[in-house]
Amino acid sequence: MAKIIGGIGIAHTPSMGMEYDRGMAQGFDARWAPWFEGTRPVQQWLEELQPTQLVVIYNDHLNHFDFDAYPTLAIGVAQQFEQADEGWGKRPWPTMPGDPKFAMALTEYLVRKSEFDLTVCQTLALDHGVYSWFPYLMDTPWRIPVTPIAVNMVRQPLPTSQRLARLGRELRAAVESNPAGERVLVIATGGMSHQISGARFGISNQEFDRRFLKTLPAGLETLMAIPQEEYMRYGGTEAAELSLWFAMRAALSAQARPVYDYYTCPQITGCGVLAMIEP
Amino acid sequence: MKNSASPNIQDSRALRDPAFDLDSPGTVLFSSELALKGHRLNKFALSLRNRENQPRFRADETAYMRAYGISESDMQLVRERDWSALLLAGGHLQAILKIAATVGQSLWHIGAHNVGIDAEAMKAACPRVVAGLPEGME
Repeated sequence: MAKIIGGIGIAHTPSMGMEYDRGMAQGFDARWAPWFEGTRPVQQWLEELQPTQLVVIYNDHLNHFDFDAYPTLAIGVAQQFEQADEGWGKRPWPTMPGDPKFAMALTEYLVRKSEFDLTVCQTLALDHGVYSWFPYLMDTPWRIPVTPIAVNMVRQPLPTSQRLARLGRELRAAVESNPAGERVLVIATGGMSHQISGARFGISNQEFDRRFLKTLPAGLETLMAIPQEEYMRYGGTEAAELSLWFAMRAALSAQARPVYDYYTCPQITGCGVLAMIEP
Repeated sequence: MKNSASPNIQDSRALRDPAFDLDSPGTVLFSSELALKGHRLNKFALSLRNRENQPRFRADETAYMRAYGISESDMQLVRERDWSALLLAGGHLQAILKIAATVGQSLWHIGAHNVGIDAEAMKAACPRVVAGLPEGME
């Protein structure tokens, strides 16, 4: 039986990706070196953990989807996933491998058993929502298949925190229904505190971010009880993306425990990571 | 090119601690109404994701936008790089960012325009650290 072996919550931002490329070429600057160093333990932990499948819950930033049709929830089912060109040219990274068989089984369960009506994408270009943090955690060549689940975080109405937690729980059921002996790691990425439009541009609430990181492992219900609007008010509009982390936590059992967390704020987006493991 | 966001003595006032409210102009929430209002504008802006379209736009901005059916007033806002008004016209930040990228500007220019200062001052002011927790997180 396939099982979920752990989870990661991690922030994303375009500069995180660009600074990785620059840092590798000429050394990290003082703002970004702590994030690189702070994510090394997760990279090493992953090498020991040896997951065989990565399910990545992320949000696109109008780099693949557009408003002709904006899916609230979508899943990628493909042999590989290209990097989206966000308008400045692609970064020098390969495509990410997919596993259609695994993704199809997940989709089948989620749509038919869980009644989660995901939009199925056979082509899905991944933007910095995935590509910005991925190199910090995963050395090339990238061999572990990725199944991306895209959540609308750009257009109101957003899916609720409770809906995303339910997605996480159903994801667990879907994985456990799979007879193959896969070791599945669930990664959710979003936020943390930031706002990139309006006169509140650049708002950063580090106390809020740190509290979120420390509370999530044992306090999912507490955090979900706070309306998304309050996340936006205190952490900036884009802090609503933290609700994606609820899907990760809910995909794990109550016994799962945190093994590592780290936080820094290099520029305008709070950068945090949380790693959790199943007993 | 008109630049309405020049640095001035109001910088310190513009950069006062952001408030914990979601009202305009502090926050422009991308509602369904704005999404409908800005549909053409966003469609045009997102066409610039395709790098082949970027030089075509730069060569003749008006002709390029006219092909997407952009209104005269929205075209004027684009020509003026009035990023703040474009957000209120229904442009999504992530879409407007593609226009900025095409004309050699960045997220910092948009943010600075929203705040009413210049891009360098905006960079220097960030992160704009606030403290406070929502009820339930204390």
